[in-house]
Amino acid sequence: MILSDSFHEEEENEAPVKAKRTKPDAGEEEEVVYHPVKLSRNDLYRPPTAEELNQLKEAESLFHCSLLKMQMGELLKEVALSERRKQQIDSFIQTVTKLLQTVPDSPEVEVSDLSWLSGTVKVPFLLLPKITKGKFHMAPPASIDLIGSYPLGTCTKPHVMVDLAVTIPADVLHPKDVVNQRYPRKRALYLAGLAQYLTSSSDIGTMRYSCLHGNRLRPVLLLTPPDKNSSSFTVRVHACPPPGFFKPSRFHPQRNNIRTEWYTGLQTSYSESSEPPTPHYNSSVLGDLLPRTHLQFLSAISSQCSAFADGVALLKVWLRQRELNQGTGCFNGFLASMLMAYLLTTHRISNTMTAYQLLRNSLNFLASTDLTVNGISLARDADSTPTLAEFHSAFQVVFVDPSGHLNMCADMTACTYMQLQHEASVSMQFWDNPTVDGFHSLLMTPKPMIRTSDHVFQLCELVKLQSSCKKLNLLSELMDHSGNYVHTALPFILSLLQRGLDQRIQLLTHSLSPDPEVRKIDKQTEFRQLWGLRSELRRFQDGAITEAVLWDGESMCQKRLVPKQIITHLLQLHADIPESCVRYVGHSFNPCFALQVPSTGEEKSLAVVQSYDDLSRKLWRLEGLPLSITAVQGAHPALRYTQVFPPKPLKMDYSFFDKEKTCRSLVPKEGKPCPAYITPITVICHMEGSGKWPHDRLAIRHIRAAFHIQLGELLRKHHKYTCRPCPTHLDVWKDGLAFRIQVAYHREPQVLRESVNPEGLLVVRDNEEAQALEMATIHKPLLTSTLHGLQQQHPCFGAVCRLAKRWLGAQLFSDDITEDSADLLVASLFLQPAPFTPPGSPQVGFLRFLHLLSSFDWKNNPLVVNLNNQLTAADYTEIKNGFMASRESLPVMFIATPKDKKLSMWTRRAPNVQMLQRVMMVAAESLKVLEQQLMDGNQIQDVKVVMRPPLEVYDAVIHLNPKQVPLLSQAVDPPSVTFSRGVMTGSAAQSGGSLPVIDYNPVSLYLAELREAFGDLALFFCDPYGGTVIAVLWKPKAFSPVPFKTSQVSARSVKVTGDEANTVPNVEAILEDFQIMGKGLVKSVEARTEKWSF
Amino acid sequence: MAPSKKKHASSQPCIIPGGFAVLSLQFNSDSAARHSLYVKEHKVRAEKSSHRPLDRTLFVLNIPPYCSEEVVKELFSQFGNVESVELRDHPGSTQESGPKLSKFFRPSGKQGFNVGYVVFKKSSSLTAVKSHPHDVPLVVCTEQRPVRTGVQKWIQQYTESFIHPDKLQQTVDSFMENYDKHKEEEAERQKKEAEQQKEEEEGWVKVTRGNKGTKARPHSEAANQRTLRKEMRKKKRKELMNFYTWQHRNTQKEHIAELRKKFEEDKQRIALLRAQRKFRPY
Repeated sequence: MILSDSFHEEEENEAPVKAKRTKPDAGEEEEVVYHPVKLSRNDLYRPPTAEELNQLKEAESLFHCSLLKMQMGELLKEVALSERRKQQIDSFIQTVTKLLQTVPDSPEVEVSDLSWLSGTVKVPFLLLPKITKGKFHMAPPASIDLIGSYPLGTCTKPHVMVDLAVTIPADVLHPKDVVNQRYPRKRALYLAGLAQYLTSSSDIGTMRYSCLHGNRLRPVLLLTPPDKNSSSFTVRVHACPPPGFFKPSRFHPQRNNIRTEWYTGLQTSYSESSEPPTPHYNSSVLGDLLPRTHLQFLSAISSQCSAFADGVALLKVWLRQRELNQGTGCFNGFLASMLMAYLLTTHRISNTMTAYQLLRNSLNFLASTDLTVNGISLARDADSTPTLAEFHSAFQVVFVDPSGHLNMCADMTACTYMQLQHEASVSMQFWDNPTVDGFHSLLMTPKPMIRTSDHVFQLCELVKLQSSCKKLNLLSELMDHSGNYVHTALPFILSLLQRGLDQRIQLLTHSLSPDPEVRKIDKQTEFRQLWGLRSELRRFQDGAITEAVLWDGESMCQKRLVPKQIITHLLQLHADIPESCVRYVGHSFNPCFALQVPSTGEEKSLAVVQSYDDLSRKLWRLEGLPLSITAVQGAHPALRYTQVFPPKPLKMDYSFFDKEKTCRSLVPKEGKPCPAYITPITVICHMEGSGKWPHDRLAIRHIRAAFHIQLGELLRKHHKYTCRPCPTHLDVWKDGLAFRIQVAYHREPQVLRESVNPEGLLVVRDNEEAQALEMATIHKPLLTSTLHGLQQQHPCFGAVCRLAKRWLGAQLFSDDITEDSADLLVASLFLQPAPFTPPGSPQVGFLRFLHLLSSFDWKNNPLVVNLNNQLTAADYTEIKNGFMASRESLPVMFIATPKDKKLSMWTRRAPNVQMLQRVMMVAAESLKVLEQQLMDGNQIQDVKVVMRPPLEVYDAVIHLNPKQVPLLSQAVDPPSVTFSRGVMTGSAAQSGGSLPVIDYNPVSLYLAELREAFGDLALFFCDPYGGTVIAVLWKPKAFSPVPFKTSQVSARSVKVTGDEANTVPNVEAILEDFQIMGKGLVKSVEARTEKWSF
Repeated sequence: MAPSKKKHASSQPCIIPGGFAVLSLQFNSDSAARHSLYVKEHKVRAEKSSHRPLDRTLFVLNIPPYCSEEVVKELFSQFGNVESVELRDHPGSTQESGPKLSKFFRPSGKQGFNVGYVVFKKSSSLTAVKSHPHDVPLVVCTEQRPVRTGVQKWIQQYTESFIHPDKLQQTVDSFMENYDKHKEEEAERQKKEAEQQKEEEEGWVKVTRGNKGTKARPHSEAANQRTLRKEMRKKKRKELMNFYTWQHRNTQKEHIAELRKKFEEDKQRIALLRAQRKFRPY
């Protein structure tokens, strides 16, 4: 199993890494603990200096608090290059420069003649078509300069890139080389020549080729230093023509520099002026001409604005966290600097602003400006350069450089820019929200694609795109991109999908409210064109007859797959991409709940809620009760759509059971498999307060029992439901579901808290009993109704909860992170999604849940779940302050809600530190495995891998007899054998009949007994959803010998040495007790370790 | 169980320091492993409880969860007639309080390892127990006396959990009747006491706030606090804010002090986070 292996590695690796990190600053690392600040009176009230006053005022007005300012400062320190690193870089650059200056000359050859290169060195260029004119020879570079972020001071960690421009001497090139890829080829050859020369040197570590921002016309040579810190930085060698060697006007976006005749090898009738323009080719050649001038320009700007470098660094971190600075056509660091320079030159930012303000203003600008429509230009004089309109006609996104000739966003697609804009506007939204940890969401949280988008589609077999280029008739574009069919087809496929999915929302709701847009007649032909054969005329309920496409999907989970249907259909129809190439990762988690394919059980939850609503109505209408009902509230996960396996209506097979005579009930039969488990769905029924209620705890309990009897009697009489009253609850069998009604009296917790002390004073003291009662009768129903509301706003909330809880169960954590806490954790993802938007599919929600679990800093932060948006900014501060003040005494996992700001009642009992640590570790590992699996098209998708925990770490494993495990079919890998469990097929009876076996689960009974008997010696773990093993972990503390004490001898045996009697756990007897106590249920007990033998 | 012990324990009783005798116990005759019961005569300095007579009561430690009171009674009958057995989850004196509850309303006992108080009819049985050889185990489950565990036990528990509604109603009614009677008696008693007091004070009548006949409000903590708070509020209302120049100056000073304090707090928080390396963005 993959998981188990990696866990162990993780544990082993942890130690050395930590040790390494702590080394440099071991002094300050020592035990920093938060103490409440104590300032002496003198310090607090001394007269302020003007400077201090300014600083304080600035902190108060500019930031939410000075915290954000300091946090940004700290972040900048983390990403900035250290002096030591800079020295390393400088010395390496010197060696490289010296080496490069001694490149020997070589004799002149034809460009296409590669014989002068030794076999090991490849040319970093796709030499298609093969024939080119021109001569080439190696010569020492005319000059070698640093360019880019390093000399500018905006270079950031990690992946430090130092750009080195090597100027190709003028005699190697020819001014006409611009045409037909002659220059790019010579450039590649020159790099290959340099590489050949450098291979012989021992001063260079590794050497690789790469392309600048994925542009294959611009290969670069990557060098790393030879010593052990080789990974610390990379030198990127660019080959450039001498400045001003080519005339910039040659690269006008409407001009052609690649002849069709040369490219296709066929005779064509194009004259030079009618050839198709090659804007992308032009801009990539032009890009080589300008880096030095760009550097000069940026340095000039940077020298005027002191915070420029810091601002750019922050923007770069922001981009990197959103993966916007990666891949072809990305918004890279260079563009970030240029954008800031633009804002400075147009006086949108003043030179005196701080880095914080620079970042804020740039994001604001990005959010509000659409560069796909209104491009911007840094050029001073507009004459003799192409106009913005000309740029717009050739490129999707326009941002013109200071020279006025180059569009720096040439490769960017409109979609990338839209994403950038979207991210910026989301960031601006939560920046001002005082309830969000702005710094963290803005700059610290990574947003990988798989965790950001609801649906991810992958195109495999990119070769197929070649045929789509043909189908979409993109020859001239293909020529412009020099045969890179992926880049060529991408914008077209994106716009196609954009059109298709834009309509999707209207189409999904077609039977209810056809959108007027669909009905417009002039749109019809276009519509039919887009959807092809799937389009048909349909008549809607309101009588309108329109063109529509019907996607099939009966259950919720199938409806979620409609985008997949749309996308595969569109791609097939218009781009000739067969369905097999589209890899959709979004529904891979469905097998986890698949009891009946293809449903995921969301409809079953709905049925349960409907049945409950009916019951609640009937309870309200009951007459003849001595006190009236004031509230009926559900208090069960199934009533908020978050039950992992929602109960389904059952019809019992009476012959399978024994019968209990007095109460007309079914009872499990010995020797038969355990009957199907019927979950009691808890319903709290509040009774009116009245003077008739006694003021005594025992009397109240008896009165409640009387109410249970009476309610049951009335329900039986009026509605013929089978009922079973108990002192604590009333079970009602209705529609094949079991409801457990509990009567509650609102003053009971208060009565439980009151007591009279010896002096006769009435004192109110909180106690466990009262808390438990309040939890059951007040907090749980409230949480249930609140989360029910959340489900109405976000349809996939329930599915995410269920997935999360299934994972927790499978990893044996159900007991530590309870159902309610898990639901709250998931709710926080929806209520406070920053920096994301609320999850729109179960998968992305689950991935974010894992990320939250693995990365949240529980030690220093409370997780605030703002249910119903009731908390204000002041509440947040209050919660945070209260948390900081008494961190030590609070639960390890602190979750605050509007009704519970101080105590975190849902996590008070569990988890403890060790378990939380383990949960975090397992979550991180699961997330890693899942993301790899989902993003890598070659791996088989088996998400259940993360649901199979390793059992090696446990000391003993109790194997259960599957016959007696009632929820066996819910297991992660359900066994092929099934047992008859007394359930008949067919729809459930409406009412009446014998009461079935409710809430009888041998596994949970057994676990409860084990925990009661051996809870202080061992921990017991079990998957509540059909797990057939119970894992046992000895508590190490319990195994050290202790002196004989009457209060501490449970399951221990005595060892006498002299006068001392010590006790140790009697492991043999305990293991046998496991067998005895679980007779009939336990198949075998397997002791794995020998930990107890000292 | 210490294996070394087993070897040279011939039919000798085993007494460990502390005065406890060790008896071994196994579930049935096939069991390989044994639990140890630690027994001693019940000895407490200050207990006058009648149902644990000092000379006839045996104190038993480490009784496994599958031994109910009946089973323990039978196990120890071999040493003499047993009068009663009491199982508890921890040693200590009995605190029976409140009215006796019916079994439906009694809280269910813990199913862990228990301590027991076995009361014999004769005190001689105690010595018999203490001299029982260590290597002859007591057997819990035998042919004559099967002990149900596991699935059998759970099914039995489930079956027994059914209560006929009428029976339950009866229990409730009788309890409430008792309760009401008790309440009435209490009220009666209080009334009588009050009257008595009146008479006792030689013709002086105590004047209380409520009208005659109503009982005075019971003293409670909450009421005390309420009064205190009321006083505080009254005091505050009379105060003038920012009226004098010095008051205004003080407010400003407080504001700056507040800002400073916050600044210091933030600084410390950052230092803490920095120490934990919380500023690495990737």
